[in-house]
Amino acid sequence: MPGNSFDYATEAFDFIDALDQLASADEVVESVAKTFSLFGFENFIITGLPNPRERFEQVVLLKKWPMGWFDIYAREDYVRSDPIIRLCRNTTQPFEWSEAPYDRAREPRAAEIMERATDFRMKEGFCLPIHGVNGYEACFSMSGVDLDLSSRTKPALHLMAMYAFERARQLLEPHPHAGSGVLTPREREALIWAAAGKSAADTGEILGITERTVTAHIASACQKLDAVNKTQAVARAMQYKLIGM
Amino acid sequence: MTKIHVIDRTNRDSYQEVLDQYFRLRYEVFVNERGWRDLKHLDGREIDAYDNDEAIYLLALDGERVVGGQRLYPTVLPHMLSEVFSHMAPRGLPRAQHVMEWTRYFVVKERRMGRADCRLLAAIQQFCLEEGITEVTAVVEMWWLPRWQQAGFKVKPLGLPMVIEGQPCIAASVGISQDSLDRVCTLAGLRGSALVRNPPLNGPLNRVPHVAA
Repeated sequence: MPGNSFDYATEAFDFIDALDQLASADEVVESVAKTFSLFGFENFIITGLPNPRERFEQVVLLKKWPMGWFDIYAREDYVRSDPIIRLCRNTTQPFEWSEAPYDRAREPRAAEIMERATDFRMKEGFCLPIHGVNGYEACFSMSGVDLDLSSRTKPALHLMAMYAFERARQLLEPHPHAGSGVLTPREREALIWAAAGKSAADTGEILGITERTVTAHIASACQKLDAVNKTQAVARAMQYKLIGM
Repeated sequence: MTKIHVIDRTNRDSYQEVLDQYFRLRYEVFVNERGWRDLKHLDGREIDAYDNDEAIYLLALDGERVVGGQRLYPTVLPHMLSEVFSHMAPRGLPRAQHVMEWTRYFVVKERRMGRADCRLLAAIQQFCLEEGITEVTAVVEMWWLPRWQQAGFKVKPLGLPMVIEGQPCIAASVGISQDSLDRVCTLAGLRGSALVRNPPLNGPLNRVPHVAA
């Protein structure tokens, strides 16, 4: 019946088209949660893989995970024994959680992870590996109790997930235009004082430079951050954690 | 350094050996490695109905050695997406003078971890910008999508993914823009143009003395 598959397609294309309008990673989370719930998904995570010196929390890009589970997963460092993660880095193909192999007897930790996850309504799942120009990059894993996973829904989910990932990456990227370079110390200072409500003249006095120079630093920061004005530049610099309060 | 040579009907005579090497590599990559059995040809070269006078090849050459390639074909003529994969584009297939189909993209095995990939991607953007082509259409394996997007390509899906030869693939249209070109160059640290456009062997350019009055 073409009816159903057409609906999945429409849903997917509407979702993708709307991504461009989203202004923050949180909005991407909301949008993914809303649309993916139509397929029975209750949780999802987009994460990179920590190198031996990194912690799991540092490489998570986006997540809608039960709080208790995230704490356990991070504390126990489950990422290094998770059979889903293991398969994800070794394939280019989407797969269901049930397709990720592990040996119950010889890998008790893997079994423990899969079992404890069900306590948080993460019973079944669908996982998509994401490969960038430098190889394996991230894992998009989604789960729930009663999933609508079929040869008709998977392509729509696959496509939506790839676009959601790309949008999240754009929004989380410190510099919208790669190569724009990081902010100089002066540009950062100018933005920090702007964030504190100071005018260019005030800032000039504080820093012992002319108002014109301050304005030039702000303009340059605006360009690097792809911001149309000082307010947006401050917002972006905070969002990207280039300045703190 | 790897250069990307533009080869079309006007200058293909001077690239005969390169093209022969290229068709053999296509056999190696698409038939032997990827297992696209439909393309099997007995003489060890992979040549299809679209390898004709209308095709334009952008080949990555390291000296005389082909290390990657891609093909462009006019969408106003019957092409692969219109003839073979039209069911993959229910949202409509862009067809116009300024739209080309992009096929047979590959990088040889030994070069896949290097910059050859990005060089070919940059070349497609640059060539199309110079030629006034505004978009290219393609069928691509889904796992490539994030790579293209990371490289700054604006990709519009023409339908949902479908499985071809065991791989989820999608029909898509890719926008051509200076932004995308800049982005891929920045990403890979590419400076300047790598595009080589050699005139025909006996073409008019060779007969006219290269001096300015």
